[in-house]
Amino acid sequence: MIFYAPNGQRRPIRLSQETRQFAYDSLNRKYGLETQKTPAVALDDTKNFETLTPIEKYDLAISKIAREAPVRVCRGELISGAATLGSAIHHSVPATYRSEAIYTGVSHLTIDFETVLRHGVGYIRGSAEQSLKKHLGSEREPFLRSCLNCLDAFEVWHRRYLSALENIPDYERNYKNLQRVPFEPASNFYEAVQSIWFTFAFVRLCGNWPGIGRIDWLLGDFLKKDLRDGNLTLDEAREILAHFFIKGCEWICGESSFGNGSGDAQHYQNILLGGIDENGIDVTNEVTYLVLDILEELGIGDFPTTVRLNSQTDEKLLRRVSEVMRYGGGILAVYNEELIIQALLKDGYNLSEARKFANDGCWEVQIPGKTYFTYIPFDSLQILQRQTLDSYKNSIDYSDFEALYSRYVNDLKKKIEAILHDKQRLFTESGVNTAVWKWKPQIPCTVVSLFEQGCIEKGVSYFEGGPVYNICSPHIGGLADTVNSLYTIKKLVFDERRLTLREFLKVLKNNWDGEEALRMYVINHYSFYGNDSDEADLLAARLLNDFADICNGIDGKCGYRFPAGVSTFGRQLEWAPDRLASPHGKKAGDILAANCSPTPGSDREGATAIIRSYCKADLSRLATGSALDVKLLPASVSGEDGLQSLISLMRGFVKLGGFFMQPDVVDAQILREAQEHPENYQTLSVRVSGWNARFVTLSREWQNMVIEQNEH
Amino acid sequence: MNTKTDTQLTVTEIQRFCMHDGPGIRTTVFLKGCPLRCAWCHNPETQKRERELLFYSNKCIGCGQCVKICLNDAHSFNGNHTLDREKCTACGDCAKSCCSAALEICGKQYTIANLLYVLEKDRAFYGDTGGITLSGGEPFAQGCSAVTLLQACKETGLSTAIETSGYFDPSLLEAAVQYTDLFLWDIKDTDDSRHIRYTGVTNIKILNNLKLASDLGAKIRLRCILVNGVNTDREHYRNISDIANSLSKCEGVELLPYHAFGGTKAVFLGLADNGKKEWIPTEQQLGTAKNILHSYGIKVL
Ligand code: SF4
Ligand code: SF4
Repeated sequence: MIFYAPNGQRRPIRLSQETRQFAYDSLNRKYGLETQKTPAVALDDTKNFETLTPIEKYDLAISKIAREAPVRVCRGELISGAATLGSAIHHSVPATYRSEAIYTGVSHLTIDFETVLRHGVGYIRGSAEQSLKKHLGSEREPFLRSCLNCLDAFEVWHRRYLSALENIPDYERNYKNLQRVPFEPASNFYEAVQSIWFTFAFVRLCGNWPGIGRIDWLLGDFLKKDLRDGNLTLDEAREILAHFFIKGCEWICGESSFGNGSGDAQHYQNILLGGIDENGIDVTNEVTYLVLDILEELGIGDFPTTVRLNSQTDEKLLRRVSEVMRYGGGILAVYNEELIIQALLKDGYNLSEARKFANDGCWEVQIPGKTYFTYIPFDSLQILQRQTLDSYKNSIDYSDFEALYSRYVNDLKKKIEAILHDKQRLFTESGVNTAVWKWKPQIPCTVVSLFEQGCIEKGVSYFEGGPVYNICSPHIGGLADTVNSLYTIKKLVFDERRLTLREFLKVLKNNWDGEEALRMYVINHYSFYGNDSDEADLLAARLLNDFADICNGIDGKCGYRFPAGVSTFGRQLEWAPDRLASPHGKKAGDILAANCSPTPGSDREGATAIIRSYCKADLSRLATGSALDVKLLPASVSGEDGLQSLISLMRGFVKLGGFFMQPDVVDAQILREAQEHPENYQTLSVRVSGWNARFVTLSREWQNMVIEQNEH
Repeated sequence: MNTKTDTQLTVTEIQRFCMHDGPGIRTTVFLKGCPLRCAWCHNPETQKRERELLFYSNKCIGCGQCVKICLNDAHSFNGNHTLDREKCTACGDCAKSCCSAALEICGKQYTIANLLYVLEKDRAFYGDTGGITLSGGEPFAQGCSAVTLLQACKETGLSTAIETSGYFDPSLLEAAVQYTDLFLWDIKDTDDSRHIRYTGVTNIKILNNLKLASDLGAKIRLRCILVNGVNTDREHYRNISDIANSLSKCEGVELLPYHAFGGTKAVFLGLADNGKKEWIPTEQQLGTAKNILHSYGIKVL
């Protein structure tokens, strides 16, 4: 029973043998495969189904799911409840009519576990009842009735677990806890974990993928009290919490969640640790460390975890984070909360609200339990290629770089306005720029609406403007490549005047054919974004600033905020076939930069230079976030020196004003890829007896040796 | 103008984000020139004090530009690209004009002011532990200039370390100790006849300097290369332990198993690949070395 560590080190053992076995089974698809066997409930026998309103159909589905989803109690589980319908794994409400899924699920949100823990789901029912009274007879009534129907369904499902647990031996504690939670407030740590889990499991069972949010902040006080009163030991608490993580792997089934090869552990169930609370007090507590223990021991990657850092972050925490990070796999990432809070203030949130930030289950920042979130990704490079440079037609010319740049910013603006326009058309009744607007009816999503503040009060669903904040964030992609392209044109055409713009565009139109020397010149003689050289970096900063200006200049008449963000996620793959040859030496179809990272192969100075390049932009103007991936080799962060380096890297990231960083300690697989495509792994350094060698500069034979070393 | 910051140094490379040239994150400056000629040298480009031309034939796309540029006709094409090093004066003209960076001048001149500019860049990452490391080559082969650089770093609040062979003019030591937070001191071999055979110089000067440095209060980490069949004997490990124990502030010993990475670099210089696999020590030899050092109460880093 080995829990794989990409760095080849042995993971420590703290959990009981039974818990480890449970984790092993869960990670090895036992429950995921079981879940796939019962994909959905069927609504075919419903009379006059077609004549029902969408929300009536939805309520029927949820109620049937609650009544019919298989009840699963795993051997030895310390907390109960399971999302056992397979379609939910694929983002659908798991209910079909004539074999068709009726609705899609909801993701990119973190639900309001705080209310569930402190007041109980019963309190939410009370609010719904009150709101219904207020809105009786109005157009909001059906939604509020749906809320009560879904809460009924939740209770039905809850009772099924109670009766399943009541009569089997060894589950008395599960039974006892579930008698109170989640409908009543949690009164101790164990109940609190069960309460979050049960609510999470129900929301997931209904096809949604919520994030978890600040788990240590949610649970810390409960544990503190239990430890103080002697009701629980730390070891017991770790065991209970481990079951939360293990049960969270119940959807691992070896099949990509989206059917696109992006992996089977991608359900946006992110977690945050550490940072300050609404009063500015550090929330780090025993739960923070227990989570790190569990991640370290089991290497569970299904709950990507981000630690909120600031300049005061305790050395003890950073050390522990680094230790866990070193095992690799990219499970732990970091936020610089000082900059993020500043960004949220600029975006109009008040201080105590800003301090509560979590994410949407992925890394985009939001206020949990209060936010509708969506982002619209677009490829800035194609805008340059196809609009500003008109697909390299020879009719295009610019007198100087500034003329070209301002045209580009204008094209960018048009793109973002188009995004806004589409969004408004989709979601509001009246056209653009109207003071009076109304949300258009959307597909039902009552289950998540129960746990988003604002929905019940207003009597409006999550998709229809119910939450307190409604965010639509344009995300710029292809940042590094656009910057490097602009920079190359500036240098080659306008500064050095090696050829005219028209001549250069012709070279690009021909995909660099017969111009290898020029291409090599560009690649080797220019210092691109990611090398800490000001010329390219300041262009990146300028572009991001202009992008933020465009987004922040949009007034939210349609009820949305439009904060800017930077991302590609995996879209650099998807965009590749549509991209033309690029000025910075890239050919049509090349796979280019991810998120805020440099163009592959263009960074020669290592991780600190990349971070410096990234931090030269004012990232506080991009309120939903900007992600930077940093790849490190296991050997380079090994030993005490390596640990110190990792700590210093994170401290530097905070000091320089970064936003979000995913340091990934990479394994032999990556090395093998580096061997095949050395041009993409220029900065990958490897520790060889006392010093770092750049991997790509080693001979093949020696590369193989290092790979073997990393392949334990 | 401050004369000190005008001081020039010959640098082969400045490497940022080094994690194993002393504690924390460091920027390492490799200085050119070394009095030793270790058979296993990992950085042969740092041996000679003079500028040299590196040729990465794998990067050359055969554009022919260098042939046109070189006034000494050092480059020629007959079937493949050859570089006649006899004719080359390392003027660097071809390197400047090579589109694919297949030619590179090794040994650029930097003033201390220029070096400080680069070394400053990662200040945010140095934190309490990291800083700058002078390496080489033998940094003190550039004499007072190296010490001046250390001093300039200390004056701007950068923590300093130096990787040294120990083979240098002892008169430099007093000032060097004053401006160096940590010495990474190579002990290649404690047996002098082997030392002479494999490095070309005696270790007496090195050990005397080490003692002097220690007497002056230097903080020292010993770095000991292990070369299978050359210095992998127990006697040597015991001697290392004795030396470590004799130092006033010894942080411990780093054992560096020989590897053959330097071999490829030699080829770029037009030399024969000096990598020898039979020199790589076994895990067992490493273990023995560690155990013996431990038994003498030495911390192995
Ligand atoms: S460095 Fe100067 S002399 Fe040497 S090959 Fe190049 S151009 Fe000729
Ligand atoms: S200039 Fe560079 S690429 Fe061209 S032939 Fe010479 S070494 Fe090769």
